[in-house]
Amino acid sequence: MDETKKLSSLSRRDFLIKSSVLGAGLSIGLPKIARAQAAGSPANELNIALIGVGEQGRVLMGSLLNIPGLRFRAVCDIWEYYRSAAKNRIKKAKGYDVATYEDIDEMLAQEKDLDAAVIATPDFWHSPHSVKCLNAGLNVYCEKMMSNTVEGARAMVQAMQSSGKLLQIGHQRRSNPRYRYVLDQLIKKNGIIGKLTAINGQWNRSVSEDLNWPKKHVIDEAKLQKYGFENMHQFRNWRWFKKLSGGMISDLGAHQIDIFNWYTGRHPASVMAVGGVDYYKTHEHYDNVMSFYEYDMGGYFARAFYQVQTTTTSGGGFFETFMGDEGTIVISENPAHTKIYREDRTASIAERMKVWDKLTSDGILRAVETPAAEKDPTIVDVRESAPAAMFDLPIVLNKAIHQPHLENFFDAIRGKTKLTCDGKEAFESEVPIYAVNPAVEAQTKVFFKEDDFKI
Amino acid sequence: MKKILITLLLITSASLYAADVPLKVPHPKPRLIGTQVAVNIGNLDRSDGLPAESIKVPENAKNIALNKPVTSSDPAPIIGELELVTDGEIDAEEGYYVELDVNQQWVQIDLEKPSTIYAIVVWHFYSQARAYKDVVIQISDDPEFKKDVTTVFNNDEDNTAKLGKGDDKHYIDTHKGRIFPVKAVKGRYVRLYSSGNTANQNNHYIEVQVIGTQQ
Repeated sequence: MDETKKLSSLSRRDFLIKSSVLGAGLSIGLPKIARAQAAGSPANELNIALIGVGEQGRVLMGSLLNIPGLRFRAVCDIWEYYRSAAKNRIKKAKGYDVATYEDIDEMLAQEKDLDAAVIATPDFWHSPHSVKCLNAGLNVYCEKMMSNTVEGARAMVQAMQSSGKLLQIGHQRRSNPRYRYVLDQLIKKNGIIGKLTAINGQWNRSVSEDLNWPKKHVIDEAKLQKYGFENMHQFRNWRWFKKLSGGMISDLGAHQIDIFNWYTGRHPASVMAVGGVDYYKTHEHYDNVMSFYEYDMGGYFARAFYQVQTTTTSGGGFFETFMGDEGTIVISENPAHTKIYREDRTASIAERMKVWDKLTSDGILRAVETPAAEKDPTIVDVRESAPAAMFDLPIVLNKAIHQPHLENFFDAIRGKTKLTCDGKEAFESEVPIYAVNPAVEAQTKVFFKEDDFKI
Repeated sequence: MKKILITLLLITSASLYAADVPLKVPHPKPRLIGTQVAVNIGNLDRSDGLPAESIKVPENAKNIALNKPVTSSDPAPIIGELELVTDGEIDAEEGYYVELDVNQQWVQIDLEKPSTIYAIVVWHFYSQARAYKDVVIQISDDPEFKKDVTTVFNNDEDNTAKLGKGDDKHYIDTHKGRIFPVKAVKGRYVRLYSSGNTANQNNHYIEVQVIGTQQ
């Protein structure tokens, strides 16, 4: 029997499960998969379900539709408006119908041939939905935050471990080649910022009104309450309610504080924070938060400031800044906000300049012409430092920002790679984020204990 | 007979010489939601376009597209219904826009009567800053748009839509809508093309107003 026939004698799902369970034995299994893919065999197609196809679910779907080798089997959402939109989009893009479900239990009972679920429901549903899917034998990609509670997040990791299935959390920057390049090439390999001493990050989002809803698409209150929402306003604006979400520090801040933890390779030792509901009348969660983390770097502390603002303009946008004694890296999903600065006044600069020059000539950094300071001969301002030499990344991401993270997930299911943000790693990174809102309430510095990070 | 002719002449003259007045366009509230995506496109006009009051139209001109039938190259939209294009409701919320398939798509408004058009106002989508690609707006008396077609806007700089190259600039949709002045072009049908946008590949319409007169 040739390899192709052997493959076809296994069910497609058996084949994938066996491949993934083989783990280290994949050095033998991989060529089989590769040949099956090359032949376009349906046996290599992954059957997926989309659970939650609202705003974020649509964004993910935009990427999913660009990834080959996926068969969309089911869409699950409590709002018919979203369900029909997802079904229509898949039909147009792929030419086939997808089953739609209001209830995840019904979906899991009916759909017996699923390999993976992509979950983008409101935060408070992440944990129950992920646990159900993992226990049903599905690999899960779940949007961040893992949950609105640390207990919910812990339950997800436990289900991941007990089921043996994959759980990828949607901190998509971890698969972004620009972010990976900064960590691997610039910070770890070439150490261009020197000794990391300070971190700064922000997400400023402009003020906006609460989301509304079309009257002809109202969900009746009994159904809303069945799924945990008091009314349509809460359903449409769940991000602002404490029992449904972790608030803005979770919704926006989680992306960036995760980068703090990923890039430093550790969790912070402590956090303190301030915040308030100062602008909006209909929100429970803080509409502005400023937090301060301390990282024990082994012999010294690096301190990090993070702010999330929804009571301002979006001026300044969103970015993370890593500052050392020899350079600074400002990284953002928006390439326009990404810049690297070399500090030229350090004692060791002559030596370091050679390193930076080599990195530039090797194409690892791209030099950007530093804007000349405007000269006014009548003013001599001795306080102003000379502009730092400026550099840019030599690589671009030419895909939608979530696509590499989803591709990593599906490649991991096929045994080609490891997850870039598995449930356990995400949990350890998210623990300090769950601590921010309580730190605001307690008005005191919160110190993390190793037990906080245990599953 | 003579009386009728004189009356017709008076009506025609009144119509021809009706005082021009500044165009009035409704401005819904601005509404930018969620993470904005960079608008990466060349030949971009970053202004809000012509202010409505700078465009003069006959006093009796009005939105003659209101509640008129709409057809499309995508008769089964992904989100919403084609009627939303002319239903008079200008809102960036869910439920008020129609989403059409990817790549080049068009919507066509049947004004149902011979019409003289002085301006067209388009709200594609404004809860996210986007520029729609290959926007072409045409007027014709031919529902197939095969003859007597007048193009009033075309920013398809490389003729992707195969309707001829256009010199007009890309623009970013806002709550103010984009106003396209039209020089009293006669026609019954208005067709609007686009080929996705800078945020995604789909095509969207919240509302289209056609400012004109009808007999």
